[in-house]
Amino acid sequence: MGEETTTLGCIYISPNAVATIAYHATLQSYGVVGLAPKNLAEGLAHTITKEPARGVSVRYDGENIDIDIFIIVEYGTRITSVATSVANTVRFNVEKALGLRINSIDVHVAGLRISDLD
Amino acid sequence: MSENPVSESRVYRLKQMQDLPLDGQALKRLVEAGLTWLRTNQQLVNALNVFPVPDGDTGTNMVLTMQSAYTEISDMGHRKIGEMAAAVSQGALMGARGNSGVILSQLWRGFARTLHEQEVLDGPSLVRAFANARDTAYKGVVRPVEGTILTVAKDIATAAEAALKETQDPIEILAKVVPAADESVQHTPELLPVLKQAGVVDAGGKGLYFILEGMLRYIYGEPLDLPIATLQPITVMNLENAMNTIEPGQDFEIVADFYPFQPLNLHDFYSTLEEMGTSIQIGEGEGIYRLHIHVPTEKRYQPIDYVMGLGTITKVALENLLAQMNDIDHKSKGDRLELANIEPGQIAVVAVSPGPGLSRIFASLGSAAIVEGGHTMNPSTKDILEAFENLPTDKVVILPNNKNIILAAQQAKEVTVKNVRIVPSQTIPQGLTAMLVLNPNGDIETVADKMEKSLGNVKTGEITVANRSVEIDGVTVEKDQVIALLDGKLVLSAASVEEACLGLLEKANAADHELITLYYGEDISHTRVNHIADMIRTTYPAQEIEVQDGGQPHYQLIVSIE
Repeated sequence: MGEETTTLGCIYISPNAVATIAYHATLQSYGVVGLAPKNLAEGLAHTITKEPARGVSVRYDGENIDIDIFIIVEYGTRITSVATSVANTVRFNVEKALGLRINSIDVHVAGLRISDLD
Repeated sequence: MSENPVSESRVYRLKQMQDLPLDGQALKRLVEAGLTWLRTNQQLVNALNVFPVPDGDTGTNMVLTMQSAYTEISDMGHRKIGEMAAAVSQGALMGARGNSGVILSQLWRGFARTLHEQEVLDGPSLVRAFANARDTAYKGVVRPVEGTILTVAKDIATAAEAALKETQDPIEILAKVVPAADESVQHTPELLPVLKQAGVVDAGGKGLYFILEGMLRYIYGEPLDLPIATLQPITVMNLENAMNTIEPGQDFEIVADFYPFQPLNLHDFYSTLEEMGTSIQIGEGEGIYRLHIHVPTEKRYQPIDYVMGLGTITKVALENLLAQMNDIDHKSKGDRLELANIEPGQIAVVAVSPGPGLSRIFASLGSAAIVEGGHTMNPSTKDILEAFENLPTDKVVILPNNKNIILAAQQAKEVTVKNVRIVPSQTIPQGLTAMLVLNPNGDIETVADKMEKSLGNVKTGEITVANRSVEIDGVTVEKDQVIALLDGKLVLSAASVEEACLGLLEKANAADHELITLYYGEDISHTRVNHIADMIRTTYPAQEIEVQDGGQPHYQLIVSIE
């Protein structure tokens, strides 16, 4: 995925690399308190293998790069703003780091965390 | 570190304010003050943006968030500060835009929760509120980045706690917190390397500082509508607006670049300048300062003499503003585009226009931005995006005025975070008709729908010269013949513009309509068009005929029939 041919050879960028960048960009976005696995199976798999990019799924069909991010948002924030911010930040960071154009970024709000009770 | 000397008159006013309880209504006025001061300095905050993420500008985002908070409370009569604060927090949450807006809403949330059942604000609860605001904000992110608004919020809470040891009065505590916030903002480049590289302080922190400073300025009775003298990077100093705001007493404009002998005391510098003139801007570059000021004729050398004593002057520009103003009056008024001024929350219309005359018409009807169509009438997505990205509102309506541009407009809509509606105008007359139903203060969906419906109210005729021979829709055209299109469809060819125009009007059933407007392009003369208009008047005496200078390329005439 993500091939670039230079005069000296080819550069291949794996989906994992993209996912890791997206993961770290997401964690730095305000309002995100965590990322969530897509489902139980993935959750178990990640616990066992200690994947570096839980909650981020990158798909590449030979042409388009599509990213899905599953976030947990802090209760009391404006969720749409947080999600938009995540999408923008991920897009910016991935495109800046890798020089690859992203086709789509879908942000899924998997849950809310209520950190203080009143 | 900026100084904030409390002069005697300020202490006197402080004592007056102390008599008023800090209750819900007081909070309402303070929120309004914070919003107003932030809005006054909005562009300054926007100019501090470092990251090119299309997050919207920090200043605009924070203004919109505060605006939403204020709108929520503006009609409320709550006396209890706890209730009012809760409403502020709710409004901020609803209107939070961008990262900084969300963090600001979290700060309000923490602040409001502390004041939960309280009626008035006192020193200790203010300090607790600042602390809780900080805690709530920090909880909202996994990896807080220092050197941002979070750091400033943290330093505010610390300063408030320290102030509590010396005074129990909430206003005095605020008076100590504001300079501490400023210090924290000035320190952000030390904590965040990208800020240092860009030579700016953190925008979100600066915005937060302005909100608190606005509250303090309100308490002191200082004006909130004039931006304070702060240093801007030289590159963002906006000196072109000199022409637009000339008041009596502003005869000369002076711009002076200098290297000060000692670090400049900005406060004293500005105060001294204030005695000489107005429209003061101070920019800072690599050790060099640029001063801009307007002064009356008799004081025209004073700023230069003053600065001479402070440092080494490298360049001075002295312009006679009055002479320039007279100059401009003699030139055609139409050189300047008077675009509509947009307030946050209003709908900004971006119109694509192929000619200067048409741009002027769109502007006069209330467009906030014009994208020049150019000779090929094809602005890029970037051109359209740049037209509205920096406007202080997130509600945008785009009028492409050409079916080839609708796609680029849609792309611009995809890329931005602003709320964009594209009204699919395919021709200039359609765009102009849509402008007539614009209500900038309305709900964007309703207004855009109305504009879209109105597109059918006008028929568009276009007259130009064929660049090749073709046969389309039963009409035979020879190269260099004059052709007429009605609503995009080729309807006739003729030997002259006059003939084509009359034929077009016949095809359009002009007799059933009321107003015919001819927008003439750059390839035809005004005199000739007036002649054509007279011809039309004899054929259609019942209709009103108008002639306007459109200035468009390619099309000799664009005709609107309504």
